[in-house]
Amino acid sequence: MFRNLMIKELKLALHPASIMFMFFGAMLLIPSYPYPVAFFYVCLGIFFVCLSGRENSDIFYTMLLPVRKRDFVKARMTTVALLQVLQLVIAVPFAILRSSFGIPNSAGMEANTALFGFALMDFTAFNILFFTSYFRSPQKVGKAFLLGSVGLFVMMLVEEATTFFVPFMMALDTPDPVNLRAKLTVLAIGLLAYAASMPLIYLGSASRFEALDL
Amino acid sequence: MSYALEVKGISKKYPSFELRDVSFALEEGKIVGFIGRNGAGKTTTLKSLVNLVHPDSGEAFFFGRSFKDHELEIKQDIGFVLGGIDYYPMKRLGTITNVTKAFYENWDEAVYQKYMKLFRLVDSKTPKELSDGMKVKYSLVLALSHHARLLILDEPTSGLDPVSRDELLDVFLKLVDEEAVTILFSTHITSDLERCADDIVYIKDGSIIEAGDMDEYISRHCLVQIESKQLPENLDDVLIGIKKNRNGWSALAFRTSSLPECCKTSDATLQDIMVHLEKEEL
Repeated sequence: MFRNLMIKELKLALHPASIMFMFFGAMLLIPSYPYPVAFFYVCLGIFFVCLSGRENSDIFYTMLLPVRKRDFVKARMTTVALLQVLQLVIAVPFAILRSSFGIPNSAGMEANTALFGFALMDFTAFNILFFTSYFRSPQKVGKAFLLGSVGLFVMMLVEEATTFFVPFMMALDTPDPVNLRAKLTVLAIGLLAYAASMPLIYLGSASRFEALDL
Repeated sequence: MSYALEVKGISKKYPSFELRDVSFALEEGKIVGFIGRNGAGKTTTLKSLVNLVHPDSGEAFFFGRSFKDHELEIKQDIGFVLGGIDYYPMKRLGTITNVTKAFYENWDEAVYQKYMKLFRLVDSKTPKELSDGMKVKYSLVLALSHHARLLILDEPTSGLDPVSRDELLDVFLKLVDEEAVTILFSTHITSDLERCADDIVYIKDGSIIEAGDMDEYISRHCLVQIESKQLPENLDDVLIGIKKNRNGWSALAFRTSSLPECCKTSDATLQDIMVHLEKEEL
């Protein structure tokens, strides 16, 4: 059943823009740019998926199929995780290419290993705020996106700003493989936060969605 | 007796509306009209059956099984249509069908092709390109293709022109005759019921006021006409929903009521009953 729901997500629910945004990791090639912003676009794609879902009565269609409400939550969150992780994977070769330029990024964090760890933390913040709001009231997808985006941008702002004056962050704002151990630690923390948060967000979202009158 | 659906004591309270102890049962192989004016609670009741709306109390049983405990199996056995399809208007019917059929264990491709042909639907069309009547028909095709034994349809005929409505009612009759399907459909168009329903369930202000044989229900009432400018006194106890009209007054009464000579009676239609009963609340 879950497989069928995922096919439904990919064939019916996925907005074309969300696929396009996965390739915005290419923005890491811009010589001077606040690179975490590149990862915002996949969240915009998630908003499009949920917004077009509302316009296409996606939830009503799905709920009348032989599935439970929590199955829908699981499928939607898996779709989101797929988009976010794929965007990071697609961004890796662009980060490597950008590092080969040998020109520092004067606008903020370098396109390095730590950037991906921070991106995972940013996604975690977005997912917590977006999903808890979205599954409480799927009609108000704009509000959920606003909350998620505020969380995402606060995280990005802190990460980017601190690279200019916090010593530990300044150490992270270097090309690979300089300070690689610290950067790998940030990546590991990002991975852990992301992986640990998704089941918890699912449990909270599923219980909210179960209680919702459609 | 074998019931396709038994609804037991469903209640749901909203700030401005309340479903009160909604109970009724559907015998297998019958067409049942769920009637009530706009806002009476038809859609809320139907949504409560499949937990799209969570009742405060009460439960629905499909083919003797509780929906709460057997949701997935029951959904395999029923087709639930909320209006026409308004989902994925830009996707091809073939794409929607391919996704939908994977969820049903009893999907029958031959039946799907048969009804698509019968209803003159083609996979390459999108819902946006279909008329309202065709959208309802496509929803029926999906439901019938997984051998749904019970169809629950929320206002399937509303918004359709008379010819399309008539065609759809023909389809309902044929389905009951040939496929032994049970149909519950909500409507406020009484002529649709008189055309094809065996039973009715009548909801008024969130409460069921009648559930049973439609012809028997209609025959219990008569339409009363009083040709007088002044309404005679002491008729309030026997007349229901007294209304002024061009020739005097009209009202509803029970056939068993003793009426004075000034009251001319005739057969009531379902519309007469509904109009006067709803008038009674004012």
